[in-house]
Amino acid sequence: MSRYISFRDFDWLLFTFVLVICGLGVMEIHSATLHTKFAGAHIRQIYWILGGVAGMFLVSLVNYQKLLDRVHWLYIAAIVSLMSVMLFGQKFLGARRWVKMPGGAHFQPSEWVKLILILAMAKYFADLHQRELSWPDFMKAGAIVLVPMLMVLRQPDLGTSLTYLPIAVIGLFLGGVRFKQAAIVTIATALLLPLAWHALKPYQRDRLTSFMHPEADSQGSGYQVNQSLIAVGSGGIWGNSEGSQTHLAFLPVPQTDFIFAAFAEEHGFVGALAVMLLYFIVLMRLTQNAQTAPDRAGTFVVMGVVAVLSFHILVNVGMVVGFMPVTGIPLPLMSYGGPSVLFMFLALGIVMNVRMRRFVN
Amino acid sequence: MATSTPRNRANKRLYLLGAILVLWAGTISLRLVYLQIFRYGDFEQRAQRQQQRTTEVAAKRGIIYDRAGRELAMSVSVDSVFAVPADIPDLAGTISLVARITRADPRELLAKCQTARTFCWVARKADAETADRIRAMNLRGIYFQKESKRFYPKRELAAQVLGYVGMDDEGLSGIERADDDDLRGKPGRMLISVDARRKWFGSVEKQPDPGENVVLTIDEKIQYIAERELETAMQQTHAESGTVVVQNPKTGEILALANRPTFNPNLARDITPQKLKDHAVSDVYEPGSTFKLVTIAAALEEKLTRPDEVFDCQMGSIVINGMRIRDSKPHGLLSVAGILAESSDVGAIKIALRLGEERFYKYIRAFGFGQQTGIEVPGETRGLAKPLNRWSKVSIGAISMGQEIGVTPLQLVAMVSTIANDGVWTAPRIIAGTTAPQSTPQMVAFHPGVQRRVISPMTVAQMKQMMQGVVLHGTGKKAILEGYSSAGKTGTAQKIDPATHTYSHTKYVGSFAGFAPINDPAITVAVILDSAVGLHQGGQVSAPVFQRVAQQVLEYLHTPHDVELPPSRQVLMAERHVKDQDVEEGSPDRLGDSLEAVDSTPADSTPQPTSASVKPAPGVPASVVVPAAMRESELAAPVPEQEQTAMSEDKPAGSPAYLPTSGTVVLDVEQGGIVVPSFLGKSVRSAIEMAQENGLDLDAIGSGLARQQFPAAGSHVASGSQVTVKFGR
Repeated sequence: MSRYISFRDFDWLLFTFVLVICGLGVMEIHSATLHTKFAGAHIRQIYWILGGVAGMFLVSLVNYQKLLDRVHWLYIAAIVSLMSVMLFGQKFLGARRWVKMPGGAHFQPSEWVKLILILAMAKYFADLHQRELSWPDFMKAGAIVLVPMLMVLRQPDLGTSLTYLPIAVIGLFLGGVRFKQAAIVTIATALLLPLAWHALKPYQRDRLTSFMHPEADSQGSGYQVNQSLIAVGSGGIWGNSEGSQTHLAFLPVPQTDFIFAAFAEEHGFVGALAVMLLYFIVLMRLTQNAQTAPDRAGTFVVMGVVAVLSFHILVNVGMVVGFMPVTGIPLPLMSYGGPSVLFMFLALGIVMNVRMRRFVN
Repeated sequence: MATSTPRNRANKRLYLLGAILVLWAGTISLRLVYLQIFRYGDFEQRAQRQQQRTTEVAAKRGIIYDRAGRELAMSVSVDSVFAVPADIPDLAGTISLVARITRADPRELLAKCQTARTFCWVARKADAETADRIRAMNLRGIYFQKESKRFYPKRELAAQVLGYVGMDDEGLSGIERADDDDLRGKPGRMLISVDARRKWFGSVEKQPDPGENVVLTIDEKIQYIAERELETAMQQTHAESGTVVVQNPKTGEILALANRPTFNPNLARDITPQKLKDHAVSDVYEPGSTFKLVTIAAALEEKLTRPDEVFDCQMGSIVINGMRIRDSKPHGLLSVAGILAESSDVGAIKIALRLGEERFYKYIRAFGFGQQTGIEVPGETRGLAKPLNRWSKVSIGAISMGQEIGVTPLQLVAMVSTIANDGVWTAPRIIAGTTAPQSTPQMVAFHPGVQRRVISPMTVAQMKQMMQGVVLHGTGKKAILEGYSSAGKTGTAQKIDPATHTYSHTKYVGSFAGFAPINDPAITVAVILDSAVGLHQGGQVSAPVFQRVAQQVLEYLHTPHDVELPPSRQVLMAERHVKDQDVEEGSPDRLGDSLEAVDSTPADSTPQPTSASVKPAPGVPASVVVPAAMRESELAAPVPEQEQTAMSEDKPAGSPAYLPTSGTVVLDVEQGGIVVPSFLGKSVRSAIEMAQENGLDLDAIGSGLARQQFPAAGSHVASGSQVTVKFGR
């Protein structure tokens, strides 16, 4: 069967908003790294964005339904790549997250595993044909996400592994989980939490506790949250053009995890609210695309992307304003970092893919 | 595509998700409102507290100039060294290295730096060599900051007047303190930003405004003369302290104010309160006989006596209100002029009694005693002039000869200047004005301060003549100048022993206050020497200092001579060979003793013989005194004595002539001939006309207005003599 595909159906509006957010990100990276050893990172970020855009167009051309048909192979490849990280990964700051590729490039599989999980969950729930979720279905869906999640947790990379969770949650939620099931699982998880607490490393525990009382140890574990709050707060309404918190290196990693704090300092409440609005528009637009998807699998794919994206924003901004513990989750589209940018554009490519096929069959 | 129930349910759940998203976005927005709007100030402060430190950038302190624009105090840029202990890996090692160079105590310095993590001074205002050596070591965490340091290029010169400054350039004494507000300027602000790794970024937010320059009335050269001569006198007399004040009597400008002991303001750590004392304004002492000027001037002004009225000085003994007062030296009949010249206490008391307490007190106040003169240096005292209601029965007698009253040397100078300035008291001033930081000191215009008439010109004329008498044939013979007439009054006061509260028999304050030249006084000079060892009389110790200072200052000021030099020199040289006994005045200790002792002991309790004071004090080798006297005569007579004698007796051919060789000056020893008029201020044309009228031959040099003439006005010359007049613009 032949399908009519045209870039006229490409979501140019969504793409524009995404590029505006990326542009703001590049500006902020430039400003935050101006006098540091990371100077010039914004140029590299532009290359990543260009690469991402190219990847997005490529992905939008491949029929997502064909991808879904072969998703089990992709899933196996994902597990294998995660295993290779465990075996041959480069140790950096106490964690194995990258594989050194021939040619010197670093490959961080945990990002594109996200993409595969979105597809896998979509495929799984689409195949369930809208029936009520049974416990075995629930368990299987959980297992699909939990296996790679635990592997990433072992790297250890708590932040990234947590970003797999919303993929499972959104799938179950839209896939028809019953509230009774959800309640049982939630309570069970809550009971298991004390056990998980013991499994956490001391620095992870510190991060979890310090966000509740950042003042308690403002030079130690509460330092990052504290400095982030000072940065955001001292931005005021219109922002502090000097951005001293950022420029004097009080703010930790202002080009990646705390880029929203740096932005809020330099552009104030007005700037921060504008960025929030841009993200909101992007999310709403994506949700609309999910509703207009040609099939149930398409809806699940787009909503998977929405889930990951909103989880990132929620946790990152929440961390910056002191609502969430520091987990090392970057702000998508703005934060500096190739894997993160590539993931976002490839995910968007799949969304475009779904949208461009919405009028078919 | 058929809509099914599950599909609807999925859509419903999508809306639910959307709602959760909106809720979350709203929460975050509210949080941003809270953080960035409501708590903005708080966070802003916290940011600044950790990022910035504001330090003051001291303004460059103004320069203190003398009246001719010569720098007396200036600021130079030097390096200060500070440590940022957080930057230093091995604090103890680094500090000990630095301490070795600065010669500081390493333990003390280390303790200081350990308490301050971000900033601690290591060496402030270090000299160039120290700073260079520390810089050469290139230590981590050691930084340099330019600061300005006060520098007194003339060292001890006018040290008490100028004062000195502390480590933060704050004026601590003298003009530095009195005019601190003008000199200090406004400090700037430097914002020092600290990054998370405690690196420093300084940026000057506000440039400091440099302080204004202060121009003093002091003349560096005159000050130098006063300092040098005071120093010589200190060495000769071994006095505890001394002060010399030179003033322009017409304007009140202080031209020099020297004190001993003194200090070098560049070496702040060697300064002691004793050295710091500006005796001229902060010492209160009993003036002794110099105060008789007030007594006699008041009586003359009230027309109660005349200079030639003769008083019976009762051979040095008088009873007032039941108390006997004795003169140290018995005098019989003395005119008022003689009372002043011989410094008779009995005479002064008699005059004062005629004057009466109230009138006498009025003049004491009118001459400025018992109140500040208003000079612009800190620490000026009012002195002690008891109000009338606290005078005892004998007070009028005591005060008439300068006891029971405390004055400052400056008040004395102001009083003598009143006589010199035709009876008008003029407030002494030491600051001519202030100038803007970049302007030249010459821009200052001096305005005399408060002026008030105390005595009439008639009284002044009489006083001047009598005071000249003091110098010419009284107790002040050692104050005779060469080429200038001079007038003054000696004073010798016993100090009150702080232990016994009675007058000391060993410690005296010898003073001399006078002015010159008499007709048009250019300077008033007061010399006060406290507790001279051996010779201590004002006429013996202070008058020679007056002579040397006044002589040099007048010549420096190009004051025209008013006394013929050569013949008078011979006469005066002969006169200067007076013995010390001749210039002694009454040692006025009688009353002080009697004030306390008259009831218990007979009034004739044997006083220390006056002659004893001429001898060296016990325990002091005679050699100390004798060379001093010799040296004094050497200084006083620049021309060797043998030569003089030779000249006056038989001029050997070929001997160096010191007389003007022109031979046109014809001396008229009999005081006949023509009286030379004053050409000063005349144009060349009118001067020639005037000379023709007087039958003199005018030798005009230069053009403009007459500035100098020779022989001096008032001298007697033969008809047709040549008068040399120098003109200038």
